[in-house]
Amino acid sequence: MTTLRTTPTTPPPRLPVRDKAAAVDRAWGGVSPMLTRLAAEKATGVLVRERGSLHLAAGHVVHAESPSAPGLDLLLTAHGTLRAEAWEAAANATDDRHATTRLLLDGGLIGPGALELCQLGALYDAAYFVLAPSSTPGRFRYGVTHPLGSVRPVPVAALERETLRRRELLHRVWPDAATDGAPLVRADPLAPPPITARQAAVLARVDGVRTAPEIARLLGRRAYPTLLDVRRLVSAGLVSPRPPAPPAVLPPPDVTDPDITLLKRLRDALEAL
Amino acid sequence: MPGIDECLLEAMRLPGARGAALVDWTSGLALGVVGESPGGDQEASAAEAAELARLAAEHRAFASDAEEGEEADDPPLEDLIVSNRDSYHVLRFVRTSFDSSVFLHLWLARAEGNLALARIRLGEMAGRLVLG
Repeated sequence: MTTLRTTPTTPPPRLPVRDKAAAVDRAWGGVSPMLTRLAAEKATGVLVRERGSLHLAAGHVVHAESPSAPGLDLLLTAHGTLRAEAWEAAANATDDRHATTRLLLDGGLIGPGALELCQLGALYDAAYFVLAPSSTPGRFRYGVTHPLGSVRPVPVAALERETLRRRELLHRVWPDAATDGAPLVRADPLAPPPITARQAAVLARVDGVRTAPEIARLLGRRAYPTLLDVRRLVSAGLVSPRPPAPPAVLPPPDVTDPDITLLKRLRDALEAL
Repeated sequence: MPGIDECLLEAMRLPGARGAALVDWTSGLALGVVGESPGGDQEASAAEAAELARLAAEHRAFASDAEEGEEADDPPLEDLIVSNRDSYHVLRFVRTSFDSSVFLHLWLARAEGNLALARIRLGEMAGRLVLG
């Protein structure tokens, strides 16, 4: 039997500290085991998943694309950082040995700092959607390189960790993912709380049809920060996701009398208006 | 025209510099880190600095008065200075023409550092980083 001897000078037990190594291991398996394996074998190619694709070069992520996130071209041209014609000229001149971003840098159209910042912003933004939980397995095609070229490759582990962190951050602001993809409607609280200029711009484009990624595209902004703005607006009571429309084809009413059936269908049609 | 790493290395040449980072204040992600980090954890200190930067940038109390009809600056702050017994932290917001939300974070030893010089240099670096 062990006896526990305590004296008044015994320090209190140490608080539990999260084991960082274990946390990293969990994060690695948590997002995409396939991606982890590709990083370990230093693969080059493109990983196509349900909501977009990740381009790898020697096991590092060099580019990410998703229909939910605006691309580098849109982010650079939306606010006049680059003229649309300048981007197009560079994209047209791109070939096997001259990547688009290389042409922009060599032509002095953009500085390396601005390009790295914008490209990293676009990469993490699109990767957030690509690495979202999916119902179908991903496919990897070896040897495919992206015409945009590599600007600042990101380690797979860092990208996965950041994606999980971003997911958690959204959840902390407002724990309902419906606001991320549903059409948004404005709500009218009695005492609206103050909002930031960025949120005001998002709010002004809420029209009952557009979703958060569509508003991001319209504003030439990254999609993830727009998701955050929308969740903050929802939590402030200024915006809500539109409830899903009732199904267009209603199940036939369980009656045999033709008149009642007709009246019920008429009522349903009127309610659906 | 420097890239992110060159910019951070330049910040580290300031007298008394202990660490420098480029951090996204919307997500708390460190896009680049050079030197030491307070507490030894780069990711944790980036996330904490980002939280502080976001609060300061989003509260109107700290913004300058915008003239009527004038486009308000985004973010409305230039920098944020935190001091403690042995060090300074200077957070310099980087203004870009494209959508971004980043700041340069310089950690400066108080004994060797020159806060006024660091503030001016950091502003110049933030400008050069996104030039052209």
